[in-house]
Amino acid sequence: MLEIKNLHVTVGGKEILKGIDLDIRAGEVHAIMGPNGSGKSTLSYVLAGRDGYVVTEGSIRFKGKDLLEMNVDERAAAGVFLAFQYPLEIPGVTTMTFLKTALNAQRKARGEEELDAVRFLKLVREKSRPLNVSDDMLKRSLNVGYSGGEKKRAEVLQMSLLEPALAVLDETDSGLDIDALKTVAEGVNALRSPERAMVVITHYQRLLDYIVPDVVHVLSQGRIVKTGGKDLALELEKSGYVEYGADAA
Amino acid sequence: MDEKTAQRFIERYEEARSALPGAGGWLARRREAALESFREAGLPHRRLEDWKYTDLRQTLEKAAFASAPAHEGAVVLPGRRSASAFAAIDRHVLVFVNGRYRTDLSQVVRLPKGVELHALADVVHEQWAKDLVERRFDDARQAENIVDLNTALMSDGACLRIRKGVKLDKPLHLLFFSADAGASHTRNLVFLENEAEATILETHVGEVASFADIVTDIAIGEGARLNHVKLQDEASDAVHLATMRARLAAEAKLSSFTLTLGCGVSRGQSFVLFSGEGAEANIDGAYALRDKQHADQFCVIDHAVPACTSHTLFKGVLDGKSVGVFQGKVIVRPHAQKSDGRQMTHALLLSRDAAMNAKPELEIYADDVQCAHGSTVGELSKEAIFYLRSRGIPEAEARRLLVLAFLEEVLDLAPHNQAKDALKLLVSEWFGEAAP
Repeated sequence: MLEIKNLHVTVGGKEILKGIDLDIRAGEVHAIMGPNGSGKSTLSYVLAGRDGYVVTEGSIRFKGKDLLEMNVDERAAAGVFLAFQYPLEIPGVTTMTFLKTALNAQRKARGEEELDAVRFLKLVREKSRPLNVSDDMLKRSLNVGYSGGEKKRAEVLQMSLLEPALAVLDETDSGLDIDALKTVAEGVNALRSPERAMVVITHYQRLLDYIVPDVVHVLSQGRIVKTGGKDLALELEKSGYVEYGADAA
Repeated sequence: MDEKTAQRFIERYEEARSALPGAGGWLARRREAALESFREAGLPHRRLEDWKYTDLRQTLEKAAFASAPAHEGAVVLPGRRSASAFAAIDRHVLVFVNGRYRTDLSQVVRLPKGVELHALADVVHEQWAKDLVERRFDDARQAENIVDLNTALMSDGACLRIRKGVKLDKPLHLLFFSADAGASHTRNLVFLENEAEATILETHVGEVASFADIVTDIAIGEGARLNHVKLQDEASDAVHLATMRARLAAEAKLSSFTLTLGCGVSRGQSFVLFSGEGAEANIDGAYALRDKQHADQFCVIDHAVPACTSHTLFKGVLDGKSVGVFQGKVIVRPHAQKSDGRQMTHALLLSRDAAMNAKPELEIYADDVQCAHGSTVGELSKEAIFYLRSRGIPEAEARRLLVLAFLEEVLDLAPHNQAKDALKLLVSEWFGEAAP
């Protein structure tokens, strides 16, 4: 589903990713772990297509197509979803309006019929319930005044509604207490499917107790320095990132 | 006085004098005096502080407007949606074409007893009309002086008087349409006696090179209430100059909202004077400009007596090479304790070539007051656009959503629900038109 070959990326003239190779197949969940500054968030932004992240070398193919040829919204319509570490607050745009606009924009881009208000409402209610997203939250401005947990639940709700082929979760555990973490993880696990791939980016092993990965990669100083099974995450929890070139944290 | 354009207006007065409303009476003398003041002051220019950002003299010199001709027979309203924005509202309609009242196009059915609605020529002999026309505010003379041009040349207008305690049954819609190029001078008079209530909707549309000079004089009696929603959307070579002067007695309330979709050069001036305690004025507006449009909003609120509340919020978006201006002043007189005055302006620049000039001011001479003013100019957040796009929303749609979100707060202040919805729809469509 996602093939990254020899990816080099600079941000503001500084090389952050220095030759990443990654092959992720449908149905798999890959965790990318690493210390602060290792390039984890850069990788997620490059996948989403954010401005200012310049690919100087290498390629990214998504479902056989050149991902780097597509702009931000085309990538989303093609099935790439990035759950943000810090979801933005958008005053004046209600969560409901945002969700409907996004879903219908993607359906339109794919040549599918847009959902009318009634069908959309039914769908959004159905997806909101397991995530404890209330009607009141849906009527409020997107992420405005949401707690940390509410913001992350809203991200998972978006993912659940948009049903991406590839979901990238950037530090989804940051700022969450254990109950919020469980709710979010359950939401993510419910979306695991043989047709969908996930990349879970995290500093800490804790999240991987709840979202159990098939493969774990260690990213350090812009390179993947080790790849292993889910036990690798447990090892890292014990030994830290020191042996991978990071300062002891 | 070597100013050609001002001279032309003066000559026009000489030619039209005998045909203007009020010939031979007090108004004729008032016109002469106003013309004399206009002759001395000339047209305003940028060296005057109140006109720092809008050079009306240069604008009018360049355009060289003749008088708009009288237009007989049928008219076809322009296709732009603004012309029919209020059409679905159950309302009385007065139509003015090229600044002249057209009975045949208007529709006013069974006004409640105590509501008097006339054209300017029919009320000039009445004392209340005289009081309104002769009243000056003198808080910003440089801005108010241009009213003299209107006083000298005013040829028509809507005059509404509502007797004590009477409520206008449905909104009165004043539709001003420029069918032919040229200048027109309109004077509207609104007099609400104590406890009276009215809603006035006002539309200015046209697709020709017109110069619309409109002055609206308002007196609101004790406990009376006036809601006002104005929409302006005229041609790129049109000039729009509108002055509203309102005096509020005790416990009176005025809520005035303007949506400016603009024209070549537009200037909206609002003067509010509190003359009785406990009154409230809300002077708010939204604007959406593009291309080379220039829109100036000038607003002076005079807290001359204690315990009044004023609120001013103007928000706008500027695309292309458009220029926005907000100049405002809240004055709190020495004895006007317990005044509450707020004046805010926020603008979003959608293009690097657009510009905004904002100058809100407070002049406070009392100590027990609550006053605030502020101004911001910003751009759409790149992060917000990226976030929306990352969910599949195309860039143009993302920008539209964020612009509407920005304007929503101020559009919600329009004091008539159906009119408010109509304005929101117009703004939403405005952005659609702007997209490539």
